[in-house]
Amino acid sequence: MNLTELLDETASRWPEKAAIVEGDTPVSYAGLVERVAAFSTRLRGFDLPPGCRVGLCYPNSIDYVALTFALWRNNAAVVPIPIECTDEESGTLAAAMQLQAVLSHKPLPQGTSLTPNCFFAPLTPATPPDNHGLNIAFIRFTSGTTNARKGVVLSHETVRDRVNVANRAFGIGPEDTVMWSLPMSHHFLITIVLYLSRGATIVLARQVLAGPFLDRVNRWRGTVLYGVPFQHALLAADGSGANLSSVRLAISTTCQLPQEVAENFSKRYHLPLVQALGIIELGLVSVNLDDPRGRWNSVGRPVGELRARILSPDAEGRGELAVSGPGLFDAYASPWLSRDEATSDGWFTTGDIGWLDADGFLFLAGRKTAVINLAGRKVFPEEIESVLNRHPAVRESRVHGRLHPHLGEVVEADLVLTKADADLEAVRDFCRAHLASYKVPTRLHVVSSLPRTVATGKIRRAVAVAAHE
Amino acid sequence: MSEVEKIEAELLGFLHREVFASNMAVTAETDLVAAGIDSMSLVRILLFVEMTHGLWIHEKEITTESLRNVRTLAATVARLLHER
Repeated sequence: MNLTELLDETASRWPEKAAIVEGDTPVSYAGLVERVAAFSTRLRGFDLPPGCRVGLCYPNSIDYVALTFALWRNNAAVVPIPIECTDEESGTLAAAMQLQAVLSHKPLPQGTSLTPNCFFAPLTPATPPDNHGLNIAFIRFTSGTTNARKGVVLSHETVRDRVNVANRAFGIGPEDTVMWSLPMSHHFLITIVLYLSRGATIVLARQVLAGPFLDRVNRWRGTVLYGVPFQHALLAADGSGANLSSVRLAISTTCQLPQEVAENFSKRYHLPLVQALGIIELGLVSVNLDDPRGRWNSVGRPVGELRARILSPDAEGRGELAVSGPGLFDAYASPWLSRDEATSDGWFTTGDIGWLDADGFLFLAGRKTAVINLAGRKVFPEEIESVLNRHPAVRESRVHGRLHPHLGEVVEADLVLTKADADLEAVRDFCRAHLASYKVPTRLHVVSSLPRTVATGKIRRAVAVAAHE
Repeated sequence: MSEVEKIEAELLGFLHREVFASNMAVTAETDLVAAGIDSMSLVRILLFVEMTHGLWIHEKEITTESLRNVRTLAATVARLLHER
C-alpha cells in the first residue's frame, strides 16, 4: 500500500472540507490533493528510482505536507531534516541516511527549483542504500550515541498500523479541528497523517504567546490541542479570561508535565491536560484518557492492542519499559538492523525507566541513557562533546542535563581546558557554528578532571545531574 | 547606562548571537513575534535571563505586552529583579 491512498480516500469523501488552514486561508482536501499532484508531476521529472531516500528540509506549511505526500506518490522514502540543523548537521544526516536527493527551502548548490521557495538537488551517497525489500515511507534520523543505530525505518504499512492504533485513543474524525504548533519535521505520522486520513481540519498555529494562540483556537473553533508542557504552561498562566470551550482534548507530550502546569491548566480551562507517550520506534504508546485529573503524572494505559511491561523491576516496581504490538518500526537504517534482530519476541526495550500501577497506568521516571530532554527536544551528549572536543582550547568534555523545574532539563558541559586562560565565549561560538542552537550548552563549567569509571577509564555519565553549581 | 539599558544591551547581544540570523537587523524596537520568535527561541531567551540574572520569568509575565520587543522585555526583567 501507499499512504497517499489514505489522503485520496479522504479527499474523495469530503472534497470541499478544509484540510489545512495556513494564515487565514483554508485549503480543501480537493485543493490539497491537487497540490500534491502538481508537486508529484514536477518530481517525476527528476526520475527518482523507487525507494529513493529524499531529505526534506522545509518549514511548517501546507507545502510541507504536500511535498511529503508527493514524495510518497513517487515511491520515495521521506527523511525529515529539521530546519534548525546547521549545514554540518545536515551533511552528517545526509551521509548516514545515504540520501539520494534533498528538497529544501534553502537554495542548494547544483539545485533546481521545484517552486520559487523549494529547491531540489540530487546527492550521491558513498555507497548506494539497500532498502532490504521494504516499502519505506519514512526514515527518522536520530543522532544518538557513537555506537547507536541511527535512523528508524518505517514502511507505509507500519505507518498505517500506527495511525490506526493511535486513533483508538484520539478518536479523530471529520468534526475535529486540530491546532498545530509543533515542528512537522519532528512530528508527522501519528499526527498529521492521522488527521488527514480521518478528514479532520488542521489549523497551523505558530502563535507562541497565550493571547494570540487562544484567539486562533477560538477563531477556528479548535477541538484538539497537541503540544508540549512549555506551551501549556504559557496557556495555564494566561490571565485574559478567554476560554477553550470548543476543545474536547488537550494532549501534552514529549516530556514530563510539571504538576503546577497540569493543575493550573485544568483549573483555568475546566479541561484536563492529557499526557501521552510517543516513541519513535513505536508511535503512540499510551495516552492518559482514563484518569488525567487523578493520575495527572501518568502517561496512561497502552493504546489499543499495544502491551507494556517493566523489565527486571526493583523493589518499588521500577525498571525498563518494554512494549510490543502493531506499528513497531521495521528496521534501523545505519547500520541496518531488522526489527526481528532489534527486538526480543516482538518486545522493544525503550530505554525509558518507569512503573505500572495496579490498574495498568504507566508512569515514567527517567531514561536509562544519558539523552537530555530540553523542553521536549532530545539532545545527545556525545554529539555535543564531539564538537567541544574539536576546539583547541578543550582537552576533554562531558555534557549532561541539569534538572530544570520548568523545562525538564537544560544542557550543560564540564570542560577540561588545554590552557587556563582559554576564551569560553569562543568555545560557545564554535558550538554555535556546528550545532543547532538549542544544543549549545547553556553553561560551560571549567573543571580540572572528569569522573571516569574504574573498569574502563571511560568518562562516567550522569543522568540528569541535579544542583550543579 | 541605566539598569534597563544594560539589560536591553545584553538581550540584544544574545538575540544577535544566538537567535536571529546574522544578517537580520534587530533593534530594541523590533517586533519580536513578527521577527519570527518561535517556542524554542523563547525557551532560550528565558534560559539566558535565568543564567545572567538568576531569574526565571514566570509564565504569567510572558505576554504580548512584555514580549513586544527587547525594550519591553528588558523593562519586565528590571521590574522583576526589583520585586525579588
